[in-house]
Amino acid sequence: MRIQVRRTGGFAGIERHAEVDTSGRSDAHEWQALAEKALAAGRGTPPIGVPDGFSYQITVDGRTVYAADPRLTEEQRKLISRVLKEGA
Amino acid sequence: MTTNGGFEPVFCTVVPPHVLDRLARNDDPALSGPARRTLLRDSELRSRRRVTTEFRLAAAPTAKAPSDQPLRTVYDAGHRTVLPGTEVRAEGSEPGQDATVNRAYSGLGATFDLFLKAYGRHSIDGDGLPLDATVHYDEDYGNAFWNGEQMVFGDGDGEIFLDFTIPIDVIGHELAHGVTQYTANLTYYGQPGALNESMSDVFGSLIKQYTLGQTAAEADWLIGAGLLAPGVTGKALRSMKEPGSAYDDDVLGKDPQPGTMDDYVRTGRDNGGVHINSGIPNHAFYLAATALGGYAWEKAGQIWYDALAGGELGERAFFGDFAKLTVKAARERFGAGGEELQAVEKAWEQVGVRIL
Repeated sequence: MRIQVRRTGGFAGIERHAEVDTSGRSDAHEWQALAEKALAAGRGTPPIGVPDGFSYQITVDGRTVYAADPRLTEEQRKLISRVLKEGA
Repeated sequence: MTTNGGFEPVFCTVVPPHVLDRLARNDDPALSGPARRTLLRDSELRSRRRVTTEFRLAAAPTAKAPSDQPLRTVYDAGHRTVLPGTEVRAEGSEPGQDATVNRAYSGLGATFDLFLKAYGRHSIDGDGLPLDATVHYDEDYGNAFWNGEQMVFGDGDGEIFLDFTIPIDVIGHELAHGVTQYTANLTYYGQPGALNESMSDVFGSLIKQYTLGQTAAEADWLIGAGLLAPGVTGKALRSMKEPGSAYDDDVLGKDPQPGTMDDYVRTGRDNGGVHINSGIPNHAFYLAATALGGYAWEKAGQIWYDALAGGELGERAFFGDFAKLTVKAARERFGAGGEELQAVEKAWEQVGVRIL
């Protein structure tokens, strides 16, 4: 499973992008469960966020959903922060 | 399931009205409730704006005049995302050990002061609204935002960004989003969104200048100076004096802001480039303020404030609509033959904004 996160906006307006390929990872099933939940709660079109809030684009195996701060689910927040931290 | 706990952000204020209408009719009360309240409040705000415009009243009549003192509360999110968090400093209490809390508290006070003393505005709604801020939001959170009701500040990751309460203009910037919400309520997308961002940079910068007692010539005209971690190549996040010159770093990339309409960036990202194209009206303000000299909040700031809060600026205004209102404000406040009018017209011309 290929999980990509693109974060745009924010006070600085600086974009960040990272991705994680779960194949071959020992914690792959954990990533997959998290990604599926994050995807299920996402929106098909980008929501207009709050002023200076981050906007997120989450793509899992080619399927993309959108979300924005501060209205993220627990799973979306966790997935986004893990991908941006651990991803390349 | 959201992580907001019992707190309900007024996210709807930036949602287009047709979407709000649909949400308000949703069967799920969690969706319809906030949307209905927002619609109701929007209509109240609109009628108040009409009243202000038509009858030149300061605000809707209230039983009691708002206080000349702010009503500040600072909360600590404890690195979680539940808002507002634990109350750590209330109005009138002494500074504590946490410098972040104290900076937020002072920044709220400085912002309240500028709007009251320079423009006669009582707090962000013009009616004494309490000022709430949450600090230490989330872990390594490199951002600050206005959620429709309060300000939220992260501590930064320490590698790229430091604590977002460090620059006072960032605190002013977030509060100014509140002022915009309660006045023109500029849609946070595309050109109206970039104008919304620019209002926050303009008044954020003015709050810094006011606090430091700087003239237009003395000011650095930077947004977010002191926010970048020591290893980052850059002086700030944005420059009103020279948009596009704030940073050029291996990790961050280069400051993408244009200073004139020739370089206007069309993009779907960042809500249609709200933090990018804001460079254009930002630079126009800088040009007008430095041409006029002296304290920027007195003349240029007053003209910009009149245009923003005068009741005539629409939610979907473009740069040209705003420019036209600044020209009108300059003429009405300082006279048709004044240097103010000339400076404002020339500033917009220099950045390539045609006055609509």
